[in-house]
Amino acid sequence: MRIRPLFAALALASLFGCANDPAPTEQLKLTEQAVRQAAAVGATDDEPDMALAQGKLLRARADMQDQSYKDARMQAEQAELDARLAEARVLTLKSEEQLTQMNTRLNRLRKQLGTPQ
Amino acid sequence: MNTIPRVFGFSLLLGTAGLSGCAGHPSSDSALQAASADFQQVKEDTNVLRSAPKDVIRAGELLGRAERLSGYIGSAGDVTHYAYLSSRYSAIAREHSKLLLNQERLARLELERQRLQLALREQKLAGAQEQGKWAEDQIMSLSTNQTERGLVMTLGDMLFDTGRAELKSSANRTVLKVVQFLQLNPKRVVRIEGYTDSTGDSLENRQLARDRAQSVADVLSDLGIEDERIEVQGYGDQFAVAANTSERGRAQNRRVELVFSDEKGRLSAPR
Repeated sequence: MRIRPLFAALALASLFGCANDPAPTEQLKLTEQAVRQAAAVGATDDEPDMALAQGKLLRARADMQDQSYKDARMQAEQAELDARLAEARVLTLKSEEQLTQMNTRLNRLRKQLGTPQ
Repeated sequence: MNTIPRVFGFSLLLGTAGLSGCAGHPSSDSALQAASADFQQVKEDTNVLRSAPKDVIRAGELLGRAERLSGYIGSAGDVTHYAYLSSRYSAIAREHSKLLLNQERLARLELERQRLQLALREQKLAGAQEQGKWAEDQIMSLSTNQTERGLVMTLGDMLFDTGRAELKSSANRTVLKVVQFLQLNPKRVVRIEGYTDSTGDSLENRQLARDRAQSVADVLSDLGIEDERIEVQGYGDQFAVAANTSERGRAQNRRVELVFSDEKGRLSAPR
């Protein structure tokens, strides 16, 4: 009979291996903020990383509901970085467009000035 | 004694459930290798290090964590997770570095643009002084009217060759005046509207009208007016100001109108 509490403790420990994570409330806020920010600079679902971020955020929220806090945290952490990458990609793309536009203007100016390009 | 095996069995069940809940990702090795390769690449790139040092550090930390965890049995899921995060930080760092390089190039090109704009302005000024010594020039009808659409300036037909969209050099003086006006009134914006006579195909007329308006817009932009302040419209043979029955009337209809906003930037609606 003395051995029973030990098994109970073992059982609990094996449970805790996955389930003793606290609810990742802060991480979820961070992720939501990252997704919002990416959307604010113009990232849409067309951007694969943005689609990833949104899918994982949804899953993280569902995991929160199920109290699968470890899964929720992992999904949310990945979604945060997916969103940040999507944001960075959109900004790079925009700067490339600006460069193209700038080169068009410069070519036009050089043409007007009659100088070879 | 009856209860002990039952508890034991229960805890065993829970134990395996806990294990399989956390593990079971055979791809953790390849994820780790990919993350390691990504990190090698960014940490040796001086541009990446310069523009996103924090992201590179985070990528390294997370890679380290994934590597440490890979020594433990049943941690494949965590290894994959941290390897993924590390790879993402490396990718973010690369994007930041691309962005910074682009911005630096853009800044250099902007200086070049200002230099060319200045040169162009001087060239046009010299040309205009030669042509007309700033006197009224008969070939261009430079008339400004206050209408219900706002301040409207009409550029006459003579500033373009027949069927062509490029502004002739005889327009230099007018264009410089417009630029000067817009620079003195930084809040004003302008809509450039192209019109033709009714000869020919109306779709083509509309295109020519738009092209001519655009070429005026391009020159204004080349001389340093921000693109955001310039709108372009091609109306073709609509809104004739004279009858298309005489050559004189048709010439009057072939025109580009510059509609200026008020000094607060409020522009009348397009027609």
